[in-house]
Amino acid sequence: MTNLAESIMVDVNEKTGRNARSSLWMALSGIGIVMLLGAIAGYLSEHDSQGGGPLGATGIAVLGVFAAIIGALIFAIWKMFLQLQRSGERVPRREKLNNRILLGCGLLGGTIGLVLAATDNLGAEEAGLFASGPIAPVLAVILSIAIGVVMPLVTFYWHRNVIDEQEEAAYRAGALFAIYAFWFIAPVWWLLWRGGMLPAPNGVALYLMTTCVALIVWFWKKYR
Amino acid sequence: MKNQLKVLRAMRNWSQADLGEHLDVSRQAVNAIETGKYDPSLPLAFKISRLFELPIEEIFDDEFSGEHHG
Repeated sequence: MTNLAESIMVDVNEKTGRNARSSLWMALSGIGIVMLLGAIAGYLSEHDSQGGGPLGATGIAVLGVFAAIIGALIFAIWKMFLQLQRSGERVPRREKLNNRILLGCGLLGGTIGLVLAATDNLGAEEAGLFASGPIAPVLAVILSIAIGVVMPLVTFYWHRNVIDEQEEAAYRAGALFAIYAFWFIAPVWWLLWRGGMLPAPNGVALYLMTTCVALIVWFWKKYR
Repeated sequence: MKNQLKVLRAMRNWSQADLGEHLDVSRQAVNAIETGKYDPSLPLAFKISRLFELPIEEIFDDEFSGEHHG
């Protein structure tokens, strides 16, 4: 290896590393904004359910802090975006497409979450991930179409046209770990329930556990 | 698997993003191959070989000692 190649490699790798870190922070900041918007909507919804009326000093302070953090995150994203543009580094075609689809899904998910929070889950008696109480038919149909029709189509396109073979391998590893986790956790839970040591197995909890395992392994394989 | 990808890329003054663009893969994929954490498929290895105009065995080293049996 020549000295020139060594020095160029250091420059190029440092720039790439900085940009990769900025991209990661931008994504995390975006997720943070969506979560904070959800928290604001949830706070206002709770306020309404307790009779509504004008917000007190505490309420204004809480919302002010949320709004300030959202403003800071938007500013940080903007600064990092400008830094990325100045660096002049190209983003591969697949990554651009990847980022756009993730942004679209994030906005769609965030919007659905905000609408649900603002409308008190469209009249659901019991909200939350583990809830199994009745929900409004409209909500059931909307969410079923989103998960059962839209998501499979996006996923099909995602695997066909967006991700590369390294990420495909990360997904395969995640799926393998997830199915084994399910195969082992589900019967253990069922047996411990029969032994009177745990509550009855919960399908949603098993689904979320399996998904978490798949995502953690996928993340580890893709970014380690 | 050890490989010369990082050196070959640096000699062309390419970033990982540039190489990713040439190979139609992400920067994470380029980084994973360079650091030996991911072994490319045969089609991608051939693509890399054609891009740098070198035989695959000059880019990738499977550390095989050369002893044959049978």
